[in-house]
Amino acid sequence: MIARLLSRGQRALRGEDSPGTDMGLLYAVAIALGFGLVMMASASFGVAERELGQSSYYLTHQLVYIGVSVLAGYLVFSTLSLEFLERHSGMLLIAAFALLILVLIPGVGREVNGSTRWLSLGVARVQPSEFAKLFTIIYLAGYLVRRGDEVRSAVRGFLKPMAVLAVMGVLLLAEPDFGAFAVLMGTAMGMMLLGGVRLWQFGALLVFGLLALAVLAISSPYRMARITAFLNPWADPFASGFQLTQALIAFGRGEWFGVGLGGSIQKLFYLPEAHTDFLFAVIAEELGLAGSLAVIALFTYIVVKGFMIARRAEAAGRPFAAYLASGLGLWFGLQAYTNIAVNMGLLPTKGLTLPLMSYGGSSMLAACMAMGLLLRIDLESRRVLQRHVGGVLR
Amino acid sequence: MSRRAPIAYPRRLILLLAALGVFVLALVWRAVDLQVMNRDFLQGQGDARHLRALALPAHRGMITDRGGEPLAISTPVDSVWANPKELMLEREGWRPLARLLGMDAADLRDRILQRADREFVYLKRRVDPELAQRVMALEIPGISLQREYRRYYPLGEVTAHLVGVTNVDDAGQEGMELAYDNWLRGTSGSKWVLKDRLGHVVENVAGIKEPDPGKDLTLSIDNRIQYLAYRELKAAVQLHHAHSGSAVVLDVATGEVLAMVNQPSYNPNNREGMRGDLLRNRAITDLFEPGSTVKPFTVAAALETGKYRPGTYIDTAPGYYKIGRHLVRDASNYGYIDLTTVIEKSSNVGVSKLALAIEPAQMWKMFSGVGFGQPTGGNFPGEVTGLLADYRGWKEIERATLSFGYGLSVTPLQLCLAYTVLGDEGRLKPVSFVPVEGSVGSREIMSGRTATEIIRMMETVVSEQGTANLAKVAGYRVAGKTGTVQKLGADGYSDQHYVSVFAGLAPASNPRLAMVVVVNDPRGDEYYGGLVAAPVFSRVMTGALRMLGVLPDELPRQWRADASRAGQAASRGKEPSVSTVAESHARPVLAGDQGVM
Repeated sequence: MIARLLSRGQRALRGEDSPGTDMGLLYAVAIALGFGLVMMASASFGVAERELGQSSYYLTHQLVYIGVSVLAGYLVFSTLSLEFLERHSGMLLIAAFALLILVLIPGVGREVNGSTRWLSLGVARVQPSEFAKLFTIIYLAGYLVRRGDEVRSAVRGFLKPMAVLAVMGVLLLAEPDFGAFAVLMGTAMGMMLLGGVRLWQFGALLVFGLLALAVLAISSPYRMARITAFLNPWADPFASGFQLTQALIAFGRGEWFGVGLGGSIQKLFYLPEAHTDFLFAVIAEELGLAGSLAVIALFTYIVVKGFMIARRAEAAGRPFAAYLASGLGLWFGLQAYTNIAVNMGLLPTKGLTLPLMSYGGSSMLAACMAMGLLLRIDLESRRVLQRHVGGVLR
Repeated sequence: MSRRAPIAYPRRLILLLAALGVFVLALVWRAVDLQVMNRDFLQGQGDARHLRALALPAHRGMITDRGGEPLAISTPVDSVWANPKELMLEREGWRPLARLLGMDAADLRDRILQRADREFVYLKRRVDPELAQRVMALEIPGISLQREYRRYYPLGEVTAHLVGVTNVDDAGQEGMELAYDNWLRGTSGSKWVLKDRLGHVVENVAGIKEPDPGKDLTLSIDNRIQYLAYRELKAAVQLHHAHSGSAVVLDVATGEVLAMVNQPSYNPNNREGMRGDLLRNRAITDLFEPGSTVKPFTVAAALETGKYRPGTYIDTAPGYYKIGRHLVRDASNYGYIDLTTVIEKSSNVGVSKLALAIEPAQMWKMFSGVGFGQPTGGNFPGEVTGLLADYRGWKEIERATLSFGYGLSVTPLQLCLAYTVLGDEGRLKPVSFVPVEGSVGSREIMSGRTATEIIRMMETVVSEQGTANLAKVAGYRVAGKTGTVQKLGADGYSDQHYVSVFAGLAPASNPRLAMVVVVNDPRGDEYYGGLVAAPVFSRVMTGALRMLGVLPDELPRQWRADASRAGQAASRGKEPSVSTVAESHARPVLAGDQGVM
């Protein structure tokens, strides 16, 4: 069974029984994984040595996560038909809710640093929000296809998924995981926009969001101040601004070409979470502006690939695949860009990983499955197009 | 293209992609802003957090005696320090650490816990490098070593007061260590290092400033004489159950200090249980009334007037002298005697009469000229100058008591310096604790003839008829003067407590060394300067003159002849009868018994 799957996947990758695979995306993902692993190892050696007495702890674990995740992504790519996925997208939404509720049940969810974001599954810990994001995007793609007319014509069609998202948002904020909430909402809004929601409804939602923010600012200036503290981290560099100022120093030390691989000082206990949420700052310090721009370009390439795959799916007349590819590309982009923006002090949110690079099994698994899905969409679109154009590959 | 579905909402897609593009542009702009535009500010902030200047301790200069023998040397040691933040995580290591460092485990714990939020605490300073290596071998995280220098004093208590000590930060605290601190002290170097947040040095940054070691200091001390003086003084203080004592040996020609010792002393290498009074260099800090030892200067003042000769006779009968309602007394009635005999017998009446016969200004000029009440020029930290009141306020009785050494106070060093004036043909030079090169600026206090005459007179003191036969030095002629001074207590002058003094010069024909021995409050059977202090002088001088290779000026035949004349057989008469010495010691008992000073 597994052997059959493997051989089928190999043939697919080689393009033997299909019009081929988007090798550009595949290479980009491989580069992101390899480069990310090196940088994550560099950022984590000191912390691992000190906290766990074993400098390669994070490296070996991340290697296992990558192995498992790549295998999972490969299985998604090689076995999961989009038709099946579309049919069961509702189930995935239920699964997402189940995971997010489960993590909030006392005794089941594990609290780390004041946030209950983890489920303990014996050997590994799982972060449900990573999968909830993926599942919800799949659900939304399905919804936009099933209720496309309603979305485009009736308020109800817009409000129903928004209500679902609102509930999910409440669950995410209860953890709290504001980062996942923001990325999911942004992705969902983008998908709805592409799905044909009326612009006034969309605009009204934006205005509502801005109003909510204004109310928050007026009613609770203290909380507002906490959220906007990132605007001036130097006001209190040893408390609220500590992590951000340390990250900014890493950027400044990096200059054009960085202090050299492994040469970061900030990762030596100055910058908390250097190997997870603030990996980008270490990259910027060790490899400089050249490194930061390369990473931004790499993620941008993957996002553009996502939208190109969506376009191809749309051209192939497969709207579910098209919505899904757009959603995945958007999610990937928003998560990466937001993480980078947080590292550079442009956005306040914390708790977001840099996809494919940061340390962590759940986010790695979710990202690799998303990439597998994208490649799968591409594969299926190419098959359809190949049939249509009579074997001429565009 | 009809078979391909059109883009459903092309403008919305463009809008969305444009929004993402703006996001990306914002990131790129911000990256350039941070990594290029603002980098100076950010790097400055970074440097403030990770760049640290490490001090590289400088080697403190060595102190040696005039022959190059080390008196104070710095040896490398390690101080063990800890980063409490890190040490807190490794509590298992505390017990073996405490055991190795010889600390109480509870003390160590308190030390760490009290400073738990700091990043630096000394656990033990200045440990043996070998022990430090054993501590490091425990591999306890957060423990580090810091190279320092520990001061070691090879002669210990013998030179403790003179050389002084440094404090735990290697700065001079006492004595020569303090006086020449700037010379001995090096300039610490520094190097810039990058430290991680836990304080570990990650890498050396350029700009290492090598430490500039301190310079060596050679003292004028001769360690052999110093040792001898210390040994003899200590023996005398113990023998006579004295409270304290001092001895000073000066080079007559140069004013160099060859030895300066005190009792009680302390071990500068181990100052546990130190008492402040042990630290005192009594030879320069403790004042006493010099008593009879100033009589030569009274006589010198008289000789300088030109009206007196050593053979001038004075009537000291009937053994006391009434001045107002006070009475100056001699030990016995010496009758009509010449000035030489006044010195030999230490007649209070004789010098009192001299003092009243000359102008107060002449006496004051002599006393202050030889350095009483004046700084010695040695600049020893904590030196006191003593007291010599201005002559314009002197009453008659004060002039009289000053003539035999009451009513002024001096240090042992001052008294010794005054004797070098006699030894060096009337010239005063400043005291020096370092070897003197070339000629020294000196001031003539009295004529060379007067000085020589005084020495000749003082030689009689160290004879069988004099008060200090015990000060004799085999092979050398000695000139000196004893003093047995009543201590001033709460109820006036005591006849229980004395200061026994001997001041002298040798060889008398051409004085090379001046020495003062002061024994404070001997509680044994003997308290006369000639019995307590003079033997110390004799033993130290005997050794010192030979060590310095000074030619004997008294031929063996001569002193053998002296000895036979004294009725003693073959060998030199070393044991004079106590009575001959003791009887002559004048006790300045003042009949008026109060209001003298």
